[in-house]
Amino acid sequence: MAVEMSTGLIALASGIAIGASAIAAALAEKEIGVAAIGAMAEKEELFGKGLILTVIPETIVIFGLVVAILILNLASG
Amino acid sequence: MLTPHKMDSVVITGPNSVMEHVIKALHNMKVLHIVEHSDKELADIGSPLKSANKLSEILVNVRALIAALGIKKEDKTFKLKKGLLEIESTTKKLSEEVRMSQEELKKTEELIARNHSVGEELDTLKNINLPLEVFSSYKSLTCFAGYVRDENTAASIKVELSLITSRFMMFQSPIKKGHFIALFIDSKSKDSANHVLSKGGFSPVNFMNISNLKGSASGNMEKIEKEIAKLQSKSEEITRRMHIIANDFGGFLIMAEEFLSEQLEKAEAPLKFASTKSSFLIKGWVPSDELTESIEKLSKAAKNRIFVNFEPAKKHDKVPVKLKNPTPVRQFEFFLDLYSYPSYMELDPTLFIFLTFPIFFGIMLGDVGYGIVTLLLFWILKRKMPKASNFFNILMLASVSSIIFGLIFGEFFGFEFMHPIVERSAENKMFMPLAIAIGIVHVNIGLIVGFINEMKSHGFKHAFFAKASWFVLEIGAVLAALSIFKIISLHWSTGVAVILLSLIMLFIGEGIKGPIESLSIFTNILSYARLMAIGLSSVILAVIINESAGKMMHTGGVFIVLGIVILVLGHIINIMLGLLGSFLHSLRLHYVEFFSKFFHGGADKYRPFGVRQ
Repeated sequence: MAVEMSTGLIALASGIAIGASAIAAALAEKEIGVAAIGAMAEKEELFGKGLILTVIPETIVIFGLVVAILILNLASG
Repeated sequence: MLTPHKMDSVVITGPNSVMEHVIKALHNMKVLHIVEHSDKELADIGSPLKSANKLSEILVNVRALIAALGIKKEDKTFKLKKGLLEIESTTKKLSEEVRMSQEELKKTEELIARNHSVGEELDTLKNINLPLEVFSSYKSLTCFAGYVRDENTAASIKVELSLITSRFMMFQSPIKKGHFIALFIDSKSKDSANHVLSKGGFSPVNFMNISNLKGSASGNMEKIEKEIAKLQSKSEEITRRMHIIANDFGGFLIMAEEFLSEQLEKAEAPLKFASTKSSFLIKGWVPSDELTESIEKLSKAAKNRIFVNFEPAKKHDKVPVKLKNPTPVRQFEFFLDLYSYPSYMELDPTLFIFLTFPIFFGIMLGDVGYGIVTLLLFWILKRKMPKASNFFNILMLASVSSIIFGLIFGEFFGFEFMHPIVERSAENKMFMPLAIAIGIVHVNIGLIVGFINEMKSHGFKHAFFAKASWFVLEIGAVLAALSIFKIISLHWSTGVAVILLSLIMLFIGEGIKGPIESLSIFTNILSYARLMAIGLSSVILAVIINESAGKMMHTGGVFIVLGIVILVLGHIINIMLGLLGSFLHSLRLHYVEFFSKFFHGGADKYRPFGVRQ
């Protein structure tokens, strides 16, 4: 299956878009997760807030995915 | 539904002579949320009733017994007959008995441990045919006892020693950890022997526990083993005795704990009151619809010797909030418990969560098969853990919603079992704008609620600048976008002008924070793309699992079994991931994107005196 160079580059670009944003989200979530666990050790009622705060950076991946899809659409359309 | 119960602030004053009656009546009525008195300058806080000291002392004993006997808090069938006196005497008797048993048990266990270490030392010596008393100290002889690596090392040590002196004896036997040697040597050659031994990797053993024993090691060993067996049966006997006590008195102790905590709560209630030498004052809140009846009951209990003043809540009062929702919606108050309670003047967002949470969850986990599995799972869990039934009710409702959306998407464990109305896996070009459209609607509902909240608490003008400005901003952005893409024939500057106008309004309404955060509304709306994204990843994962399992099964033979394993494990993992993701993300869409448009929160939950938490 021969694929044109330009298609390959588009695929690569969309891969980078989601991969890099996933790494960024992971780093951010790591920091928040550590702090949330620390706070929970002091006060258990903070579980709910901690959980929500921990998933907040997940938006970064969502944006990455949106961009990746836009790039892929560029290829097909 | 959208507003909490109306509250009245209540102040009760009366002479100290009726305080106990008032406390008792309040405790029975369970309507007054007491506000703790803290202003020390006006009047001091009250002192606890006389019985408080004694009550807390017995309560500590009862709790210690519950902990020591390992009683679980489920058994609640016992009936207390004679109240405090019975509890006091029985607790005293039990405490003494349990304390003695515990001490005895501790002593026995210490003895067992000591005998075990003696046994270990004897075990090392049991193959060497020497009486134990030879390991004591001598004038002209030195004794080395310990391990070397193996028999060869021991032999070479023996050879080297014989070069130094002939006045020595060496005994040896192989044991678990290596090779044991006992060396008796002329004290004059002690240093050189030491040198030889350390070269051979010798590690000495200290026989501190058996220094006073006599006779052969194996003989002593038997004695010790008998002793240990005797001690163990004794410790078992004590444990059995404690179990019997726990069985006989478990129900009593649990009920006693409950009774005492309740009495103590009453006895310590004056700590929340303001008091002078001869009178007391209680401040608090009562739901308006229960007010008249409560005051009547209270006056009767205090023989009309108290004065009760009440007035409806004022604008800046810190009112405890009792939410008012019909039963199906009430389950969702759980999410406010997790987050924060809305203040008295705000709209209660529970209804909105009730309407949108299951929908968001369903869109993300829309699969008939997954929905049925999770519905069953949560039904079972709800029966096992009735305490968390609110939480499981929410999840069951969400599962039903994912079955419904599964029908719309035509998915059953990742297979397309019917022609879908909306196909998620292929049509993300259409599905993503749909998700964002849901976002626009949801965020704007939030802004409308915010507008109402601001109008209620700060008036129309503030609401107009702080909240309506966001609508203007959105209109401006839409105008600008449409004209730039030449969909409408307007110059792009019109849209920009509207945006500028909205920024000025925001500045007036919310200060510099408004314009700076103006972009947040667009990121908030874009964030709803997760409705598509989470669902998409769940579907694609399911399809991959099905495909790889399918390929395996076509190969035949052992691979059929492997294919089934992949299918089952894969879907279990995907369901777990999907549940966690869908739950957290739809919750987050409410807490972060939706609540930030209107919610202030921070109110205290209404906790009437007498209701145990």
